[in-house]
Formats: sequence, C-alpha cells, structure tokens
Amino acid sequence: MNLVEKILARASGREKVAPGEVVVANVDSLILHDLSGYITSRVFEKEVKRKMRYPERVAMVFDHHFSPPNEERARILEENRAFARRHGIHLFDCGSGNIHNVAVRNGFVRPGTIVVGSDSHTPVHGTLGCFAVGLGNNSNAGTVMPFGKAWFKVPETIQVKISGQNKPGVCARDVALWLTGQIGEGGVVYKAMQFTGPYIKELEVWDRWLFPLITIDVGGKCSFIEPDEKTVNFVKGITDEPFEVITSDPDCEFADVWEYDASGLEPQVAASPTLGNVKPVGEFAGAPVQWAELGGHGGGRLEDIRQAAYILRGRKIAPGVKFNLVPSSREVFTEACREGLVQLLHEAGCTWFPPSTGSNQAINMGAMAETEAMVSTHARNFPGRNGSPKAMMYLGSASTVAASAVKGCIADPREFTV
Amino acid sequence: MNITEKILAKAAGLDKVEPDQIIEVAVDRAFTHEKLGPLFFKKFREMGLTIWDTKRAILFVDHGVPPSKVMDADLITETVKFGEDYNLTCYNAEGISHQLMPEKGNVLPGRVVVGTDSHTCTYGAFGAFSTGIGSTEMAWIFNKGRIWMKVPHALLFKVSGELAPFVMGKDLALHIMSLTGADGANYKTMEFTGSAIKVMELDSRMSLCNMAVEAGAKNGIIEADEKVVEFLKGRTDEAYEIVKSDPDAAYEKVYEIDGSKLEPTVACPGSSENSVPVGDVEGTPFTRALLGTCTNGRMEDFRIGAKILKGRKIHPKVRLQVIPASKDIFSQCIKEGIVQTFLDAGAIWCNPNCGPCAGGHYGLLGQDEVCVSSSNRNMKGRMGDPSSKVYLASSATVVASAINGKITDPRSLV
Repeated sequence: MNLVEKILARASGREKVAPGEVVVANVDSLILHDLSGYITSRVFEKEVKRKMRYPERVAMVFDHHFSPPNEERARILEENRAFARRHGIHLFDCGSGNIHNVAVRNGFVRPGTIVVGSDSHTPVHGTLGCFAVGLGNNSNAGTVMPFGKAWFKVPETIQVKISGQNKPGVCARDVALWLTGQIGEGGVVYKAMQFTGPYIKELEVWDRWLFPLITIDVGGKCSFIEPDEKTVNFVKGITDEPFEVITSDPDCEFADVWEYDASGLEPQVAASPTLGNVKPVGEFAGAPVQWAELGGHGGGRLEDIRQAAYILRGRKIAPGVKFNLVPSSREVFTEACREGLVQLLHEAGCTWFPPSTGSNQAINMGAMAETEAMVSTHARNFPGRNGSPKAMMYLGSASTVAASAVKGCIADPREFTV
Repeated sequence: MNITEKILAKAAGLDKVEPDQIIEVAVDRAFTHEKLGPLFFKKFREMGLTIWDTKRAILFVDHGVPPSKVMDADLITETVKFGEDYNLTCYNAEGISHQLMPEKGNVLPGRVVVGTDSHTCTYGAFGAFSTGIGSTEMAWIFNKGRIWMKVPHALLFKVSGELAPFVMGKDLALHIMSLTGADGANYKTMEFTGSAIKVMELDSRMSLCNMAVEAGAKNGIIEADEKVVEFLKGRTDEAYEIVKSDPDAAYEKVYEIDGSKLEPTVACPGSSENSVPVGDVEGTPFTRALLGTCTNGRMEDFRIGAKILKGRKIHPKVRLQVIPASKDIFSQCIKEGIVQTFLDAGAIWCNPNCGPCAGGHYGLLGQDEVCVSSSNRNMKGRMGDPSSKVYLASSATVVASAINGKITDPRSLV
C-alpha cells in the first residue's frame, strides 16, 4: 500500500484497503474558515443537531476577512464566534493568517493523520504526509463534527516524479504552475498524486507545499509527499503532539507514473480565465497591471516576501501600481519585521495588510474595475473572482509579481535577478 | 479681530470683517476624495470646466482602500482618471487626507483650506482656517478658486495648566464636547489657547481641532507657534505668515478650563457629547477596539500605545485594529519598533486608510458588538449595525482598555 492507503486503512480499522473501496475513517483534524465554516455550523446546529464529539480537533480560522466590510459580514463573524464558544472549538480570529498556514503553524497537521477541511485547497496538507481532502461545506463537514469520522473512496494514485534544477530566477512556484498546465485542469479527477523525485526532495517544506496546493485545480482528490527528515524536523519545531510517520511500502504500485524535467523551465504565468492558461512569462510580458499582490492560500509566505525584497531592494514600484503584501500568518509578519523586510518593502512603495487570504474572492480587498489587472501569487484567476468579470488576474511567482510591480506590466524577473 | 477673522479678511481682500458678514474668499488649497469627488466629476467634464490652479486642487483616495466592492474600485479609478486628465496630484491609498494635507506641505498658517470632508477642520492645528464643504461647492472652487462664506461668531477655550501624563488632546476635545454639546458651536469658530495648548504636541492639537465639527463648529483653530514652524521645515518652500488674534479680539463666549484637572475622558454611545470621566464607565466590557483614523492615527498615539502595551498582551476577547494615518507614520512606527510591539501583543496591524470609522468597510460592527475607538463619531450605526455601540476615547485609553478587555483608565497601567 502507499501512504494514503495505509493511513486510510489504519483510520478505518482495516488491514488493507484498495483503490475504489469505500471506507469510514476517523478524522484527526477538521479545519474551517469564516465563510464555509459558517455554512457548516448552520447545518450542524439546525439539521445534524448532535453533540460536537471532539471539539479539540476542530479549528475555525477567520481568513477571508481581516475585518468585516459590512454589517452582514460582521454578523456572520459574530455568529461564528458564538458557535466556537458554544462548542468549545478552536477559533483563530481576524488577523491570524490564512486557514492552511494557521492550521500548520498551530499543530493541526501532523504526518500520518487525516485532515479534512471545508476549503478546496485542503489537500495542500499532504505536504506533511497526511491524507488531506476538502469536504463539502454542509452535510459532509457537518457530520464529521458529531461522529469524528467521514467516508472516503480510496483513490487511485499517480506518481508524479520531478527532476532537474531551476535556472536562476525560476522557482518552485513556476514549476507548480507549469505542472498545472501539463497535468491539465481535469487531468487527475478523484485521483491521488504522490509528488516525488529529486526536485521535490531538494525543496524545503514551505516550497514543497506549492505542489499539493495544485491538487484541486487539476481535479485531484489528494496529494502527498513522503515524509523525510525535513518533514519531521519541521513538524517537531511546531508541535509537541506525538505523531507517527507513515510511508509508502517500497513495492507499492501506482496507477501511472508521470515524469517531468524542470530544468530549462522559464518563469511561468497563468492568465485569466483559467489556471490551464499557463505560459512562459514572455508570452504575457508588457501586459499592463495596476495591482500586484503577495497573498492567498499559497502566497504571502516568508519565502515570497524575501523574493520580492530581493528584487525591490533599492527600487520603487512603478507609479500607478499598488503592491499589496499580505503575510500568510501572524508569525510571518513578525519575522518579516525582524528581518527588516517590512521596512524595505514599505519604502519601495508596497502596502502591508493584516495576515489573511488578502484579495482572495475580493471580500476585504482586491475588487477590480473592468479596466484593471492584477499580478499575484494567488491560487486562482477565474473571471469575476476579483471584482469585474472583465478584470484580469495573472498568477506567477513572487519574483515575477515584484518584477511586474517595478515595471508596471508583466515582466520577466530574470531582468532583475540574473 | 480674532485669528479666524483676520485670515478670512485677508483672503477676501478686506481690511476688516465681522461676524455674520458675507464675504467671498480666495482659497489656498482645496481637495476632494474618492467618495465625494465623483459626485461632481462628470458634470465638471460635461460643462467643459477647467481647474483654477492645478497645484492647489488635490485628490485623495483614502476611504475605500483597498476596495472590497467593485463600486469602490470604480470610484477609485474614476478619481485617478480625473487626476490624470486634469493634471492634479492624486494621493492614491497613501493615507488619510487629513494627515497627508499637512504632511505634504499643503497646509500653511494663515491660509484658507477647504475639503469635501467634514473633518477638514483638523488643519486649524497649524493656524490655518480650514473647513469642510459639499461636493457641488467644490466643483465651483476647483474651477474658480473662490467661495462665499459667512464670518463665524467665535468661542474661545482657554486651557490653563498642563495636561497630566496619559491625558491627551482627545480627552480635552471630548471634555469640551460635554460643555458645548453636539450643536453648541454651530457655525462658530472654536479657538483654543492657554498653557496646556502651548505644551501640547501637534498630534494632540490636530485631534482637538479635528473634533471641532463634532460640536457643530465651522472651524477649530490654534495660533501657530514654533512647533508648527519646525513641522513645516522641509515640507514647503512657500513663505507664510503666522496670524494671531488681536489682544482685544471679541468672543461670543469664553470657556476657562483647568487642563491640569482634566482626566481621561470617554464619550458614551450615541453622541460625542455624552462624554464622562473614564472612571464613570470603567469596567464596561467590549470586544472590538480601533486605534487610528484622522483623529488619532499619528505618532503620538502609537508611541503612547506602544509604551502602555510593551510586554503586555491584548485581552483574548478583544480584537484591536491598528491603522496608521499615513505611509510615513507606518514607516516611522517600523523604525521605532512599534509595529513589532503591537504585533507581539496580538493586534491587527492594517494599511493606512480611514478604516471602519465611516461605516464603509474594513471592520464594521455586527449586532450588539461594542467597540472602544479613537475615532471621532459614535452616532447610532456609525460603524455598523444600529444595535452596535461605540465608546470614543483617547489612544491611551483605547490601548489600556484593549489589554483589560474592559474600559480602563490608562493611568492605572503605568
């Protein structure tokens, strides 16, 4: 069995499971955000109407709001807080960071566990060797609360092997974006992906994280990376909770093996309307942007902030461009402060925002008029996700975002880094 | 004549003016922002009007920053476009107009400044006559550089002594509100003088003048002194003249206040005139706190906040939003380690903008939520749901209260 199969077997009390089987498995962590969590909480109280079984395993993170933009949203947040108090679940209020970073940094994600969440990017937690999937906001997540269990169909697994080394100015996010295009938006429907190969092994944990992050956007059920020493040290640095590392059997079989070579890759940009519309940066170079942002589920990491600072040191962003910096967690904001990056980027003309998902879905910020365009590290670029359906969203690495902010149009970061 | 009359007389080209006289004055600087400018931009274009002086008409984008609605994004792009088409400076998302006007050298002693925002009266702290006006009037000023005004009657506030430590200009403003009421200075000028004003930092003087409109005043004003001269160094090349009230200037009423007896003051929900010494409401629980806005989003506010907060944590039930009034203030806070202190204490540090004060976005209050805020208004529903409540206080009181989760006298923590 592979890692995911072993986790599912253990959590459902079986010796063995095989792809296609349906199992009912114990869940270790349920993570919710302020929007989906609201829906789940209503279903739980109004329809499920049972006791919260393991409140200590449930965390709600307010990340789509760092501050409510209207009374209705203020009311929703208040109801979420009351819900958290009533049932004793963990609450991470406005300004804590984005759901997935907060979940990791507070020990809700440990190797060998099952992590479910009412956010489609929950599979990102496969990075630490978990079985991690997104559940429906309503009945599915709502029934985990009283039973501490959920049903899953064991997915088939594709092994995705990546080799090669990036050229200067190209980074893990470019490879992940490119892979989204290679696999295709419906390329692995309901399948698991094991990301492996020398390229992945070389990466630090927060960069590995960018690969399972793409799972849902290529239609996958979950993804995982075999835990190694880096993984174990990373998790031990965060939590004292014990965990058991589970790895795939050496003889496990995969439904398919796909191999990719990342050497020679150019910086990549995915332009609206879909993630599949990913091309080398040169294809979009010169397209004007008014907004730039480091933020979202995969962005606003310390690594992103450092990349942007490397490019912006001694430079200013172009007149007319607004560059939003949204740290992925409170810890990242504090560390950026310590490293002097808050000051450096502020002086370059960037604007700092509270830790959150930033312009994701334009709830607190990031609504664009029809003539506007944004370049960002966000995970999605669908029309209308950030204001007017005519507004453009370009996704790229933090280096590409920073280079584009300096030039006022989509730009190749190698102009500044090489 | 008093200081306001002298400034208005000069701007009208007259030797002398008296209260109730209608005069036409030349405006030195005029501004609008993205919420109220677009109300006249279209008509201005249709009528084919031109700008009277592109160096003196200024635009700001400060209320809906960053935009959370497409409507806000559209208002911003419309304002930026107007600036581009008419060659006007537009400060886009760099901070609050009332902080940037003086910071960028657009407020000089003895001048007349108008803006389409009620808290334009803030610049009286620099010995300027400044007042808020409507959008259609602003269209006319953008074109002619002139406006008619009625010379206001004057109230004089003599504040003797010196404010005690951790008692701030905001406390004085709130105390004065309880003396005048919310309409006690309607269309009057409020002039502040005395030893307590003299030793006060400019930041506190700005929050004092900022609140003048809350008593209904046309303007609030303080004679410029060496602190103003020092502030303006490096910000302007223009020569300016400091205007002072004549010793025999007449006032409709003189209020004598002993500044040394003033206590931290809190305005209870409903109106800023509902102000009482902090002791009267001490212990009132709340869950939301706001430190920022054009009233109290400056260095004095963050320094005193950080001093109280150092080594302490925000109460777990309280969310404290901190919003610097400009990029320069943000920058200075980073340099002084203030951002770090607030982050470590658990505060939410935000980008420079007006914040939730005007009830537009950015942290509105839900049903029955209670907020202690350094802003200037607490009318029903001002910051969100009509059932929510806002207590107005100084920055020191806001921070001290946020630590305890209930309204607290800042002096009790130092």
